[in-house]
Amino acid sequence: MSPQPEAAPSGVIHDIGYRGYDGPRLGRNLVARALFFHSLRGVFGIGRSARSKVMPMGLFAVIWLPALVIAVITVVTASQGLLNDVPVQFARYPMLLQPAVAIFLGTQAPQAVSLDLRYNTLPLYLSRPLERVDYVTAKYAALATGVFILLAIPILTMYIGALLAELPAGEQTGDVVLALIGAALFSLVLAGIGLLIASLTARRGFGVAAIITVLVMSYSVVSGLQGIIGHGQSDLATAGWLGLLSPMTLVDGVQTWALGAESSAVAGPPGDLAGLVFCLVTATVVVGSYLCLMYRYRKVTV
Amino acid sequence: MNSTIIRMTARAMLGGRRIYLLAALSVLLLVLAVLLRLFADLSPDDTAQFLHGVSLSTLLPLFGLIVGTGAIGPEIDDGSIVYILAKPISRAEIVRSKLLVAVTAAIAFAAAPTFLAGAIMAGTSANVALGFGVGALVAGVTYSALFLLLAIATRHAVIVGLVYALAWESLVGSFVPGARTLSIQQWALSVTEAITGPGVISSDVSLGAALVLLVLVVGGTTWYAGERLRVLTLAGDD
Amino acid sequence: MSHVPVIATEDLTKRYPGITALDRLSVEIEPGVVGLVGANGAGKSTLIKILLGLSEATSGRASVLGLDTVSHGPQIRGQVGYMPEHDCLPADVSATEFVVHMARMSGLPADAARERTADILRHVGLYEERYRPIGGYSTGMKQRVKLAQALVHDPQLVMLDEPTNGLDPVGRDEMLALIRRIHTDFGIAVLVTSHLLGELERICDHVVVIDAGVLLRSSATADFTRASEQLAVEVTAGTEAVARALTAAGLTVSAAGQILVVEITGEDTYDVVRDTVADLGHGLLRLEPRRHRIAEVFEGGAADVSAA
Repeated sequence: MSPQPEAAPSGVIHDIGYRGYDGPRLGRNLVARALFFHSLRGVFGIGRSARSKVMPMGLFAVIWLPALVIAVITVVTASQGLLNDVPVQFARYPMLLQPAVAIFLGTQAPQAVSLDLRYNTLPLYLSRPLERVDYVTAKYAALATGVFILLAIPILTMYIGALLAELPAGEQTGDVVLALIGAALFSLVLAGIGLLIASLTARRGFGVAAIITVLVMSYSVVSGLQGIIGHGQSDLATAGWLGLLSPMTLVDGVQTWALGAESSAVAGPPGDLAGLVFCLVTATVVVGSYLCLMYRYRKVTV
Repeated sequence: MNSTIIRMTARAMLGGRRIYLLAALSVLLLVLAVLLRLFADLSPDDTAQFLHGVSLSTLLPLFGLIVGTGAIGPEIDDGSIVYILAKPISRAEIVRSKLLVAVTAAIAFAAAPTFLAGAIMAGTSANVALGFGVGALVAGVTYSALFLLLAIATRHAVIVGLVYALAWESLVGSFVPGARTLSIQQWALSVTEAITGPGVISSDVSLGAALVLLVLVVGGTTWYAGERLRVLTLAGDD
Repeated sequence: MSHVPVIATEDLTKRYPGITALDRLSVEIEPGVVGLVGANGAGKSTLIKILLGLSEATSGRASVLGLDTVSHGPQIRGQVGYMPEHDCLPADVSATEFVVHMARMSGLPADAARERTADILRHVGLYEERYRPIGGYSTGMKQRVKLAQALVHDPQLVMLDEPTNGLDPVGRDEMLALIRRIHTDFGIAVLVTSHLLGELERICDHVVVIDAGVLLRSSATADFTRASEQLAVEVTAGTEAVARALTAAGLTVSAAGQILVVEITGEDTYDVVRDTVADLGHGLLRLEPRRHRIAEVFEGGAADVSAA
């Protein structure tokens, strides 16, 4: 811990001395981009301690594995002539794995923002050329991109399986593109909600519990209601409208109506008006989350 | 049981944001029950399915998680647990006191609303309300004890608990039949089945086995939590 | 370099409900090591936050490095380093990782960020421990990390808020020496705040004193602490008799408690005092030139504090 030796009055000078910096200084946009990549790495625990890798990587494996299995099954059964389409529609995959996706968001959304709030690191960011809007945008984009990667890789894996099984390429490609669009929507909606909840508390543990509770409870409640009303009452229309009330069923509804996917919920949006409403609400949730995040970070005392 | 610790824990857990989340969930359950009763024709089966899916499978584990970790997690996080540990109170007593608060909260905010929701939706038919109320109570006690232990044993208790409550119990439990014997949900369901009578709901675990496992788990986790508290190392660092 | 003040404020005011943190503060700060002194709550941190654009002034203007804080905030922040008073370091990353990340947040490209981080950590004396997680650091090491992230992007001005907080006396000395080097060796202008008056006297060229948001005084340290043309004399007994004798000998004497303050008229004043006291048969406890202390500014009206 001794300071750099000063230049000796005689003899060899080892002290490098202080070197100024004359090189380029990047502007806001590039800095925001650097924060984006840094946060994206953090979403998967890359570049951090081994412990912070366990959860995201473990969940990534849990979410990817079934897709791998499905891809293999596709190839095997198609080669025996037993199949002419994939066993599981690409677009249905996020919904099938939704508990795991919810846990991923529950752990990684707080990782992205609660730490900065808890350790009070925000003043260090904001005393730099970065503005609050850059911070929020970078974090939101990073988490959404992370979730998209989480969903896209399994979907693409199943697609490759379908191609290897020599299923009709045009049809499969069309399906996979639509599924990826759906995955993008899921990412935006879930990341927005998760980030907003996480930013409300500096206590990471509570943020995790709150996010998972909201995502899982809402799905559970909506499914339960749809079950009773849709099947018990045979009122699929109302059951369909109920899908607006949970993020997962909301995006599933948009997928079903706008992208022609099979519904994974008990009931999809009944009719075109409902479909439009679903799309509108989805857009509102995304934009609304972003705006609320901006407001939250404007209010945070630095 | 130490009344000061009980008071402190109660104040910490129920003050601030946590109580809003807990209350919101209970209210949600009750509102849903009322709406369903008003607008839908509910058979006892419907009620049972609903309570199983929403309350036992989802609400109870999450509640147990929130109150079990909330009873001691924040104190460990910010280090103020030191003040309690420095007093001449046995570790087991500390655990029991905190568990009491957690269980009371779980009963008040999860088990009782479940019972009420059942009563609203199905009246007294087939003892559904009573069955699920008791099942929820049993589940609440067990989950609270389990998550209290996790909060002491690992710093990432919430995450570990979540993986168990959601992934293990629902995913693995659905695909690996043997695993269902080890699911708290199934034990609670077994108790419910015993009360509602057959046909409404079925559990894969016999009542006798369930009761034994429940007592073992609650007793074991409570005891082990005391042991872990004894050797708790506070990290100011990670 | 001494023409443009690094910091200038004009009637800067910051009001919160019920509290006025800054009250029409007008001050100009030259390059060098400048100390900002005031009790806790005097407005030092508020001033720094307004200068950085982290907080908005209620009224008045401020400029840093010649740029207005309101219209040129991002440019200012690219050229300035900030070391906050409060804890602000994440516990689970290492010093190197953290400072590299902060360097990139300041606009340095990745390679430059890594190089400069290694350099800066060496300069602040944190080289061996730099790969351990910050959570395990002592207070002194954490302060050094905070300082490193403020310096890593080679700012023109660095603002340090209570940098010696929580340090033991040795750590405090090392930090103060480091701060002095930032100006003399690195060529960076420094604004240091403290509520400890004594330490600033040692390293600052210039001191600004504020209290309750109001400027009390701003001048060179030398002015504060210059030796006055006065002697402090303390005797074992018979203070009054000595005072009378010295006055009779032609010296101007005033009393400050047990101490007699004697105006120095020439080189022989010392001899006169010594002889007078000896003649009266008393013991001479103290005979020293009197220095001022910054603390006197707060006493307000201390007779011997006068502007240069």
